[in-house]
Order: sequence, then structure tokens, then C-alpha cells
Amino acid sequence: MKPYRVFAVLRREMQEIVKSRGLLLAIFLPALFLTLLPLGGIAFLGRALDNVSSGDAQDFARLLTMMPELKTWSAGEVASYVILEQFLTMFLMMPLIISLSLASQSVISEKQTKSLEPLLATPIRTSELLLGKGLTAMLPALLATWVAFLIFLLAGRLLIDSPRVYSSLLQPKWLVAMLALAPLLSLLSVSITVVLSSRVNDARTVQQIGGFVVLPIVILGVAQTVGLLLLNVTTFVIGAIILAAADLLILRLGVRLFQREKILTRWK
Amino acid sequence: MIQTHNLTKTFDKFTAVADLSLTVEAGEIFAFLGPNGAGKTTTMRMLACLIAPTSGQATVAGLRVGHDDDAIRARIGILTEAPGLYEKLNAVQNLDFFARLYGLDAATRAKQIARYLDILGLGERQQEPVGNFSKGMKQKLSIARALLHEPQVVFFDEPTSALDPESAKVVRDFIAELKSEGRTIFLCTHNLDEADRLADRVGVFKQHLIQVDTPENLRRKLYGQRVLFRVRDLTDASKRALAALAFARDIQFNGDTISIALDAPDEMTPRVVNALVDAGAALCEVRPERASLEEVYLDLVKTEPLQ
Repeated sequence: MKPYRVFAVLRREMQEIVKSRGLLLAIFLPALFLTLLPLGGIAFLGRALDNVSSGDAQDFARLLTMMPELKTWSAGEVASYVILEQFLTMFLMMPLIISLSLASQSVISEKQTKSLEPLLATPIRTSELLLGKGLTAMLPALLATWVAFLIFLLAGRLLIDSPRVYSSLLQPKWLVAMLALAPLLSLLSVSITVVLSSRVNDARTVQQIGGFVVLPIVILGVAQTVGLLLLNVTTFVIGAIILAAADLLILRLGVRLFQREKILTRWK
Repeated sequence: MIQTHNLTKTFDKFTAVADLSLTVEAGEIFAFLGPNGAGKTTTMRMLACLIAPTSGQATVAGLRVGHDDDAIRARIGILTEAPGLYEKLNAVQNLDFFARLYGLDAATRAKQIARYLDILGLGERQQEPVGNFSKGMKQKLSIARALLHEPQVVFFDEPTSALDPESAKVVRDFIAELKSEGRTIFLCTHNLDEADRLADRVGVFKQHLIQVDTPENLRRKLYGQRVLFRVRDLTDASKRALAALAFARDIQFNGDTISIALDAPDEMTPRVVNALVDAGAALCEVRPERASLEEVYLDLVKTEPLQ
């Protein structure tokens, strides 16, 4: 593998992203929405905290069973904690959504403009091409996710009154989520796009089908809220291992499907 | 420079290319002619290591297809049927990307990009997005892209299709110039006039190679050599004089024009002229009759149904 070829692909894709309003929106819109929504939520929570009666904490009875340390918290603090956890789970959708948009556009547009044939006629290897495209989809997505998370942490410092609630944002599990789960989820989007692109001809269809990958994250968030599951460092590490295995499998399938001959003779 | 031996490609049950054995010499322009679906592009893709042959062998620039694919791709340039450019990027960015893939250093990249943009007349619009370019400009840019790394062998797939006559001429002239630089050119085309003008040899192909030779030899093989004689007021005496010439075959009369098949035109034409003059004919014009390559091609292809 020649790194300069991977970098050439990455560089060219970035040049195209910068010149495409649609792709820039695909990066900034989810980042903006998924940052502003939690920040708005925090601002709202700050005012609502006082109105939560202590009896309402019983609504989170199952969660309290799993996290006994929360029993000493006020009902308002527990409610804030639960909602913040929900928001933080949403941050994990960002690498998925952004990578899916970028990767689907990158692969499908080559298919539509027939630019793959001259590209594949160069000495570039399939692995170099896929790595370049994968990085193109992953780097902006991860950068947007991390910057958004950082903004959320800094703004949370100002907006969250309860130190106990704020300290929940600094738990190691979120470090695992941002540094391990986010890249793996981003890679999942790229792998799924590569697989789907061998069967589908337009980016929108890839995004619609690929969009189903956000469902497990939504389910995880809801499961924690209703007390079916506790998202802690252990569950995140287990999740990361499962995700890494899934990435590897799907990526291998994608690479197997993404073959020069099939691309040139069957991609119509 | 290019050699194939029984090169075959099948897709499921369909045979696109059957037992192609061919040699293209270094510095030659070889035109590959055939109808749509004949397997020309498939052949080109196999030689450019884009798809793998089902059976048979091929070498390009002395390297084996299927074994040295990366090295072959580094030594060839290819103009695909569709330009396949990145339309949001400008001409320089498009070329720079490919130059990087070929591993050219920064100084060489800049020099080569400027050189080919200048040669192909795109220098003034190099900073415009390629999406704004005309078809002809896109085709020229694709040609520049194929040549940045100075390949020994260049494959052209329908280089002038959908171009206006002016742009087509620029492209044809440029291909001729490439030959003068000693490059080997494999030209897939429907344009028989183009093949006739440019090619040293043509291969007529429809799943398998029907004939391969110089355009002139193909004409000779199919039609022999004919000479046209135009006289003023063709008389029966002239016709009798021609009939008496044993070496004059297949004499055809069309008004005042006589077409005669001659095995050795240089030697026999003066004898025909003498016979006509002796018979009292007023000879106005004598010239070799040249079947168009189109006629040769159509005759060859019509007898070969697609399998």
C-alpha cells in the first residue's frame, strides 16, 4: 500500500466536499442540530429542575436499582441525568449519519459520473482507494462529533447548575464512546455504504437503507431510560468489541463485492 | 509491445472475446474496428488490466496481464469512452489527482500539467470547474490525464465520438503526434475514416479477429487492385481492345468510365492505356480505384454474425 495514493484520494475528495454545498450541509447540519438540541435541553432543564417533585424520581425506579448512587440525588437531578444521557447517546448518531452521507455520495457519484474506470486504470489498489474514501467519510464526521462534544461539555459547564449532574458528563464511558465507539460507528457507515453501493445506484437510496443503522443507538438510549440496560464503561467496551467485529465482517464483505471487474461490467 | 494469445473473455454464458491472438508493434497505431457489442472495449479493458481474461495470455510492454497488473497500469494510459472527470474540480485539480496517483513529484506534476494543458489548448480555462467544459474540452482533458505520466502504450476508446469536426481534428492530429513520439497506440473506434487516416494496421473484430492488416492491404485482399480509366466517347472499338487484353480482369463500364482489376497495376496500366489509345479512345483520366475502408469493413463484418 502506497500512502501517497491514499492521501491523493483523500485530498481530491476533500476538494470536492469543499466545493459541494450539499456535502457541507451533510456535515454541519447534523453537527449543529445534535449540539444545539442538547444545549437547549440543558438550558430548559436548568429552569425545570425546581419543578420536579421528589415523588417523580420513582418513575426511574428501575434505573435507580441499577445505579444506587443516584438514590441520594434529588428527583430533578435524576431527571436531568437521564435526559443528558439521552442527549449524549445522540452524539453517537453523528459519526453514523455524517459518514453515511459522505461515503454514499463519494462511492455513488463515482458510479454515476463513470469516473471509476479511469481511476481504476491507474496503479491504485482497491485497498488504497477504499481507505482513501473511508478516511474522507470518517475524518470530517469524527472531527464534527468531537468538536460538538467539546462544545457541549464547555457549554454544559455554564448551563448545568448541579455539579453532580455535570460530573456525569465527564465519566470515562463517554471517553470510550467518543474515542472508540464513534470511530467504529463511522467505519460501520462506510462499510455498509461499500456493500450497498454494489447493489444500489443512487446515494439517497444508500442513505435510506443505511439509515437503519441508527436504530440500535436509539434503542440503546431508550433501553437505558426505561431501566432495561445500564450504559456504563463495561457496556460501551463490550459494544465497541461487538462493533469492531461487525465492522470487520461487513468491511470484508464490502471489499469482496467492490471488485474492479464487477464495478466496470455490472455497475450500470 | 502488445501481444495476445488465444485471449478469451466470457461473462456467464456470453463470450465477449474469443481466442484473440494479436501482435501490436512498438510505435504503431493499431485500430481495432468492430460493431457495437463486438468486444472491443472488453479487449481494451483486459489489456489495461481492468478485467481479467477468462483464458489465454497477454503481455503489454513486456509485462504479463494477470501477473504484473500494477506495473502494466503504471506504464499505460487510457482514454475511456466516457471522460469520467470530477466536474466540481477544475482542470488542474483533475490532472493533479491523477499525477499524484502515478507518483509524480510536485515539480514534475506542475510541468506535465502545464505542458498538456498548453498542447491541448486548455491553458486559459484551467481554473474553471470541468462541469462548465464542452464535450470536446472534456475529451481533451481526458487525453491529457491519460498522458501525464508519459506512458509507453496508450489505449483510446472512441476518442472522437460525439465531438464536433473541429475538436475531432485536434484529437486526431494529437494522436498522430503521439505516434511520432514513438508511443504505441491501440485505438478502438467506429470511425473508419479516422482509422484509415491514422492507423498503420487495422484489426476487424467481432468477438474474434476477422482480419488484421494495413488498410491498403485489406482493400487489396478484398477487392484486388482496380484502376479507373475515363475516356471521351467510349466506343465499341475501345471495348473490343480491352476485351482482347488477357490480363485485364473484371472489366466494368459505367458511362465513360472503365474500371479494370489488374494484378500488377504498375506494369499493366501502361498496356491498357496503349490499347485504348490504339483503339482511338481519347483518354481523359487514369487513376487507381480505392475502395473506402468502410466498404472493406462492412464486407468483412456482414458475413460474421454475433454469437
